[in-house]
Amino acid sequence: MHLADGIVPVGMALAGYGASAGLTALALSRINRLPDPGAGLPRAAMLVTVFFAASLIAIPVPPASVHLMLAGLMGICLGWYAMPAILVGLFLQAVMFGHGGLTTLGLNGLIFGLPALAAYGLWARMGQRWPDLAAALAGGGAVLLALGLFAALVLLGLPPQLDAGAERLALAALVLAHLPLVLAEAVIVVVLLRVLRRVEPRLLAHA
Amino acid sequence: MPDSIGPRARILASLVLAFAVSAVNSVAMLPVLALLAGAALWLGRAPWRRFRAPVALALAFVLGLGLSLGDSTVLRLGPVPLYAEGLQAGAMIAVRMLTIVALVWALLGRLSPLQLAQGLRGLHLPALITDMTMLTLRYLNEVRAELARAELARRLRAGPTGWRALPDRALILAASLIRAQDRAERLWAAMRLRGHGASHPVAGIGMGELAALALAVACAAALIWLDRAA
Repeated sequence: MHLADGIVPVGMALAGYGASAGLTALALSRINRLPDPGAGLPRAAMLVTVFFAASLIAIPVPPASVHLMLAGLMGICLGWYAMPAILVGLFLQAVMFGHGGLTTLGLNGLIFGLPALAAYGLWARMGQRWPDLAAALAGGGAVLLALGLFAALVLLGLPPQLDAGAERLALAALVLAHLPLVLAEAVIVVVLLRVLRRVEPRLLAHA
Repeated sequence: MPDSIGPRARILASLVLAFAVSAVNSVAMLPVLALLAGAALWLGRAPWRRFRAPVALALAFVLGLGLSLGDSTVLRLGPVPLYAEGLQAGAMIAVRMLTIVALVWALLGRLSPLQLAQGLRGLHLPALITDMTMLTLRYLNEVRAELARAELARRLRAGPTGWRALPDRALILAASLIRAQDRAERLWAAMRLRGHGASHPVAGIGMGELAALALAVACAAALIWLDRAA
């Protein structure tokens, strides 16, 4: 669910860079308020490598497959570190694997970063009282939010003369193709957080 | 692409050229972009497998827009018409995308992880971001291999496949995250012992870098001028 280069107008791509830079500056200012901001760095980097590698896992959705996104899990585990971590991951994916794009790095940062921060906020409010519900909502909800942002940006960026019926059809196909991913991520996040809560609660931003 | 051009100039040149290609809107510029992509592929000696996904996406755009946009039928695939306007819009997006992918590969594709991190540091990005990039690149292959081994072991134990494998995969991921946390603590201790936090001197911009950047800006300006003139 990456926006590739050349799809959206330049103005939109630049606005994406601006918005992502703003969100990252906010995240960095929150991180700098922590007692030892550097201490979270190796942990964030290690977790990014795991998420990066895990995002290559494909879930079969006949006739094709979709890849795990794990934005919700990143938000829960990394908190404010999730935003810079996502930008680093997206930059490396664009340069090393040709996934996503360099001009759309800012927009993709928003597509993945906003759901991650929303999942972090949700976990902070609900994680202690209803951990399974919070995990399912954060995991599946992050995919839905990312899907909504992606669809909105694609529709804004495509040629304006595109037939409205075709737009709706394409949007419906996109949502349908990714609904199994919503379910898969909800299951994965619930199972994974059950294990982490028991074995290594320090991995959760609001443990 | 000369190896003497520093990573910072390469990253900046990639951004300048990528945005210039993104700004091209005239169909008359398609051959120019195709030439640019060809030159980048030749200079970068890019492996074909790197372009499989972008080419598939580009074809999807050409077909998707060709089937849904426009009134002038140019071809019929059975009962389904392909429209000229849609094909043109799809080709524009596809060629822009593939040109940018080829340019990014030619300029950045063969940089080592260390060079890439040095390039980002040279752009004066926050230390947290450049250090995170460096550490991610350092451990990426290790973690990927670890996950692949765990997945292979799961399959060899006749673990379930498809959707029924999701809980197992979540457990593999959990184990990997726990190992990552443990590794991160040791790494943080080692980083502090080695004096992490001391400022990294960033070299000033050299003549070679300036020349490469000037060339990239000139190419970008020429592309945009040609596009407006076309």
